[in-house]
Amino acid sequence: MPASRDSVGAHSAKPSASALVEERRKAALVAYEAEAVPTWRRSGFWTTSLRGLDLDALEPKRYEPGLPELHLGDEEHAALIVQRGASIVHAEVADDRITVMPLEQAVEEHEELVREYFAKRLPHDEGKFAAGTAAFWTGGVFIHVPANVQIEKPIQVVWLIDEPGTAQWAHTLAIVGENSEVKIREFFRAPDFEGQALHSGAFELYALPGAQVDLAHYQDWGRGEVYDLSTRRVEIRRDARVKWVPIHLGGRLTKQTLDIITAEQGSDMKHTGLYFTERDEHLDLFTTDRHEAGHTTGDTVWKGVLTGDSRASYEGLIHILPKAPEVDTYLQTHQMLLSPKARGDAIPSLIVEVDNVKASHGGTVGELDEEQIFYMMTRGMPRAEAVRVLVEGYFEQVVQRLEDPGLEELVRRRIAEKLKGAEDQVREFIGERAEAA
Amino acid sequence: MTLEIQNLHVRTEDREILHGVDLKVSQGETHALMGPNGSGKSTLANTLMGNPSYEVTEGRILLNGEDLTEAAPDERARAGLFLAFQYPATIPGVSVANFLRMAVNAGREEPIKVKEFGALLRKNVDLLKITGDFTKRYLNEGFSGGEKKRAEILQLAMLQPAFAVLDETDSGLDIDALRIVSDGVNAMRDENRGFLIITHYTRILSYVRPDFVHIMLDGRIVREGGAELADELEAKGYEFVREEVAGSAG
Repeated sequence: MPASRDSVGAHSAKPSASALVEERRKAALVAYEAEAVPTWRRSGFWTTSLRGLDLDALEPKRYEPGLPELHLGDEEHAALIVQRGASIVHAEVADDRITVMPLEQAVEEHEELVREYFAKRLPHDEGKFAAGTAAFWTGGVFIHVPANVQIEKPIQVVWLIDEPGTAQWAHTLAIVGENSEVKIREFFRAPDFEGQALHSGAFELYALPGAQVDLAHYQDWGRGEVYDLSTRRVEIRRDARVKWVPIHLGGRLTKQTLDIITAEQGSDMKHTGLYFTERDEHLDLFTTDRHEAGHTTGDTVWKGVLTGDSRASYEGLIHILPKAPEVDTYLQTHQMLLSPKARGDAIPSLIVEVDNVKASHGGTVGELDEEQIFYMMTRGMPRAEAVRVLVEGYFEQVVQRLEDPGLEELVRRRIAEKLKGAEDQVREFIGERAEAA
Repeated sequence: MTLEIQNLHVRTEDREILHGVDLKVSQGETHALMGPNGSGKSTLANTLMGNPSYEVTEGRILLNGEDLTEAAPDERARAGLFLAFQYPATIPGVSVANFLRMAVNAGREEPIKVKEFGALLRKNVDLLKITGDFTKRYLNEGFSGGEKKRAEILQLAMLQPAFAVLDETDSGLDIDALRIVSDGVNAMRDENRGFLIITHYTRILSYVRPDFVHIMLDGRIVREGGAELADELEAKGYEFVREEVAGSAG
């Protein structure tokens, strides 16, 4: 227990926020050191291994304050906070109704909120990297939106890794007050460098009763060897609603757990994600649509495209707990292979521990439809263009869920670039299939 | 310009479907190709556009003397051929308007100007009495049979090809929709365009009067004539033609 307990009077018997954070760091360090570097195995061919990662060669890198060039979709924002390596290098708040600051600072200045919410849904002992993040995080991001405000422009959080050799341990805590509306965007960016880096991240969002949160994660780690091992959790309280759009457009190896929890009656979520893997990228996503209370609703759609030698696995679970009747939810996952060497998995699953719910799921893994390609070609479009348009159209349902023209454009442009990069192999693959047909 | 089909033999993976078809359509002419189900009409339409599921084993397809038999579908389209599909594919995530713009641009050197495209689209939407948010919807996604046919004819009107093949465009249309589609086709008939209207029934032909009628049975064209042949068929049915062909062969 913290030392402060004995020295402070009965009025503040609770430990300070910073003492809580320090305690957690210590416990997490023990867990981190006790655990070996994990390998994740599933039935079939699937293994996510960190064999290729030289963890000892990585270290937190510190930077002086200053705003780097970002090229985000939205130029306007309610707040912008940027962490580069281990340091928050820029924080500005354009809307004085909200608080956006380094989490380190919030631990000192927002005692009550940090004590109540920090790591509430993020145990420090969920594996080596969750423990590492809990032990080593620096800088960090704290977002607090008070009750009853509508924030039009997005709050933008940027995680940058500039150079190889970087270990970035990240933590974001966001609390959205009752009946408030806000957009939160987190960007994960790196230039194309040679060498390895690690982003080990924790994200937690609490949407308090009646809140409406429009949340997006945009990951594009570039062509460097960036490993991203992260856990993101969203808790939705009574009558609150969260729309969450994670976009995965790059990273050497990504292993993420994305959980969305409808915790109280009337809470509602929409979770719509996409990924595009290329070259030798490896993506392993596990999402849970977890219903802890009855009369909650959910809607999960994930779409992916694989090119090159890439591997992508999406596993999506709907979990309805015993005390959660009258849930109405579904999950769909689609995956499209554009290369003969890519390997993918799209696995929906369902655990229902109560009667009287509506829950359905479905998944497809497939290739482009030759009939659609033929149809578009009869309208004068060459095969490569037909393929491009079909793939872009396939993603469009997800992209439009962003409801943010600037960000939508950014995503569309990156998808078009990636398709252009894969044009030769796609032509070869689709061409071979056409010959065989 | 002419579209000429010479001694066309076509097979799918397991059998030959067309056994030597000859047909010539000149610009300014409207031809009807009639026949019962399974006679090979749709095979001919698909083969004309280069569907990779069909293999030409003998014969040629010429457009203005240029041999297109081995050309890719997009080359045929850019050369001036169009097919209105019986069962068009669904293109999720691509709106009708967006699709039309891409198709129009595929046949041009320079992309069409936004204003010019808008005006062209409005004109043709009006021509086909299309209302509501039709052009904003994803192409054919959730469309009724009639909406799909109308989307095909809208593409035809936007692309203004030299030769248009309409594969069973009339099937599944109610009388009002049939009239609208027919009016649209009639508005596009002129000396610069040839039509090949493929149909099982004669009813579209009372709205779009053909100059020539060809009857296909079992992968061969067995009778040809003017518009009156369609009337005769209406009165007597395909069995009559079949018996007549069998009689003359014997």
